[in-house]
Amino acid sequence: MNRILKKLFSNGTSLIGIILLVFFIIIAIFAPAITPPLSDDPYQIPRMSWDINPQPPGSLMSDDMKEIYGFLEKEVKWEKAICGTAEGGYDIFYGLIWGTRTAFKIGIITVFISMLIGIILGSISAYFGGWIDEILMRITDIFLSFPFLVAAMVLTTVLGRGLDKVMIALISFGWMGYARLIRGSILSTKEETYVMAAKALGVSDTKIIWKHLLPNTIFPVMVQGSMNIGSMVITAAALSFLGVGAPVGYADWGQMVSFARNWIIGSPGHAGQYWYAVFYPGIFIVLFVLSWNLIGDTLRDILDPRLRGEL
Amino acid sequence: MENKKKLLLEIKDLKTHFFTEDGVVKAVDGVDFEVYQGETLGIVGESGCGKSVTAFSILRLLDYPGKTIGGEVIFKGENLLKKTEDEMREIRGKEIAMIFQEPMTALNPVLTVGFQISEALLMHFKISKGEAKKKSVELLKKVGIPIPEQRVNEYPHQLSGGMRQRAMIAMAMSCDPILLIADEPTTALDVTIQAQILDLMMTLLKEFNGSLIMITHDLGVIAEIADRIAVMYAGKVVEYTDKKTIFHHPLHPYTLGLLTSIPRLDIEMKRLNVIPGIVPNPLHFPSGCKFHPRCRFATDRCKKEEPSLIKIEEGHLVKCWNVDKVLKEVKKGLLVEV
Repeated sequence: MNRILKKLFSNGTSLIGIILLVFFIIIAIFAPAITPPLSDDPYQIPRMSWDINPQPPGSLMSDDMKEIYGFLEKEVKWEKAICGTAEGGYDIFYGLIWGTRTAFKIGIITVFISMLIGIILGSISAYFGGWIDEILMRITDIFLSFPFLVAAMVLTTVLGRGLDKVMIALISFGWMGYARLIRGSILSTKEETYVMAAKALGVSDTKIIWKHLLPNTIFPVMVQGSMNIGSMVITAAALSFLGVGAPVGYADWGQMVSFARNWIIGSPGHAGQYWYAVFYPGIFIVLFVLSWNLIGDTLRDILDPRLRGEL
Repeated sequence: MENKKKLLLEIKDLKTHFFTEDGVVKAVDGVDFEVYQGETLGIVGESGCGKSVTAFSILRLLDYPGKTIGGEVIFKGENLLKKTEDEMREIRGKEIAMIFQEPMTALNPVLTVGFQISEALLMHFKISKGEAKKKSVELLKKVGIPIPEQRVNEYPHQLSGGMRQRAMIAMAMSCDPILLIADEPTTALDVTIQAQILDLMMTLLKEFNGSLIMITHDLGVIAEIADRIAVMYAGKVVEYTDKKTIFHHPLHPYTLGLLTSIPRLDIEMKRLNVIPGIVPNPLHFPSGCKFHPRCRFATDRCKKEEPSLIKIEEGHLVKCWNVDKVLKEVKKGLLVEV
C-alpha cells in the first residue's frame, strides 16, 4: 500500500491528477463556507435576478431579488455573481461549488454500487461455473446489448427526474463491465494451486472467494472503477444536458451546461459574449474527469499484474 | 501380518473421467488400493498417468469437467463419495490433508504464512484468532523454521523454496490429520532439501501414527519411505505390492522398465535404458493392454484383450499376460538391491 502511494506521488501525471482531486475535495468539503446557501435546500442554485439573459461575471444581485430574500427572512450573505449568472439568473459560481458535491456523489456512489454488484455476480459466476455461470453471464449479455446512454436515458425518463433516479439508471447499466472483468480474472486465478490447497484444508467457498480469490483479482476492477468515476459524471451531465437528469435549478454541472445551450454562440456581432455560461461548468467537468483518469491510468500501471512481480 | 493392521482407507474401482469437448478422458479408470494406519503407500508412474487425479478424487476436489463416476473411497468405514459437501469440508484438512508439488504456487501470495496456517485451525476448531496464531507459531517451529515469531507474519515470497514447503507441511499438519496425501512434495526442491523434507514428514506422521500416500515419479523417494507401492499406468494400477517385492522381482514390464531406467554406478552402461514411446493420449487409448505399444514382451493377445489385476502371489497383484517372461528377465539380475 505504501508502495502504491509512493508511486502515485512520484509520478508527474498522477501528481497532477491528485492535485486536481484534492482541489475538488476541498471545494466539496468547504462548500458551505465558500458559498453559504441562501435557501433551505443547499443544492438549489440561488437566482440573482429574473433576467433571461446571462449576466457577466461581477454583476450584483438585483434589488427585487434582495427584496424577496428579505421577505423570506433569509440573510443575503453575498451578492456578487463572481462567475456571472446563467440563463434565468442562476448564479454560476454557486452552482460550480455545490455541483462538486453532486459530482462526487454521482461518481463515487454509482461506481461503488455497480462495482459491488459486478464483483458479487462475477465472482459467483466464475467460481461456481456451470449453469450458474451460464445464466448470470447471459443476463450480463442482455444488459450489455443496450447502448449505455440510451438505456440510461430511457430509464431516467421512466423513473422521473432527480439525482437518485439518475444514479439508479447509471448503476443498472453500469455493472456489467466489472462483472466481466472479475469473472475473467477469477476464472484464471481459481486454477491456481493455492485455491486447491485451501479447498483441501476444508476452507469454505465464501472464504475462498473473499480471502483467496478477490485480493488477487480486485486490482483491475479498482482501476476500471477509478477511471469510470469520471465517465459516470460525464454521463450524468449528458443526461442533465438532455433534460432528463437533475431537477431544474439543482446544482449540477451538466444542468449548468444545459442552461448555456442557447447562449453558446453569443449574440450577433458579439461572438462568445456569454462565454462564461458554458466555460466554467465545462472546465469543471473536464478537470474533474481528467483528475480521475490520470489517477486511474497511473493506478493501472502500478497494479498491472505483469509489473507486480517486482513486489 | 497385514491383517493385524487397521485399515484406514480403501479404494475400490475408482473411476474419474474428464468430460471435455473432445471426448471423455479416462484419467483414472478403475484404481484399487488400501492404506493401513501408520503405513506409507507410494503411487508411482509417469506424468499424466492419473496419480494426482486419484489423490484429488479421494478428497473430491475436482470440479467440472472432472467427475468421479464410479467406485468407492472408504475412509474409516465410510464412503467419502456418498458424503455431502459440508461433511467433506469437515474431513478435508482435519482428517485428510494434502501437500502439493509446487510450494510457490500452493501458497497464496497475498496472504501471510500465519494467516494461511491459522485458516485451517479456525475452520475446524472453535478457537480464537489469537490462539490460532499462537498455534501457527508452534507449528512453524515444529517444522523447523527459524524465528517462527517473525516468519508467521511474512508473505510466501519472503521464504525460500524449502521453507515454503515446510510451511505447506505446517498447514497440512495443523489439524493433526490421520491421512496425509503428498503429491510430489519434493519434486520442486533441490536434492539436499528433499531428504530433510521427507524426514520431517515422516517424523511428524509417526507422532500420531498417521498414514501417508506418497505420489511421486521418483523411485528413490519410494525406496526411502514407502511400505507398499502401487504402480500406475494410463489411469490404472498395473502392479501393487510391497516395496521389497517391487525392487527385487517386479512382474510388470512397465515396472521393470521404470527400474532399469534408473542411472546406476555399479554396472557398465553406455546409455540409459528408456521405455520407448510416450504415454498414450487418454482420448485414444490403445486396444487391449494399454501398455502393449511400448512393451517389449507384447504378444497378439495383449493387443486384443486387456488383462485384469490378478494375484500372482500373496500380496502381489499384477496386470499382465506375460508375467512369466518378465520373471525370466528379472532373474538375469539387472535390478538394484534395496
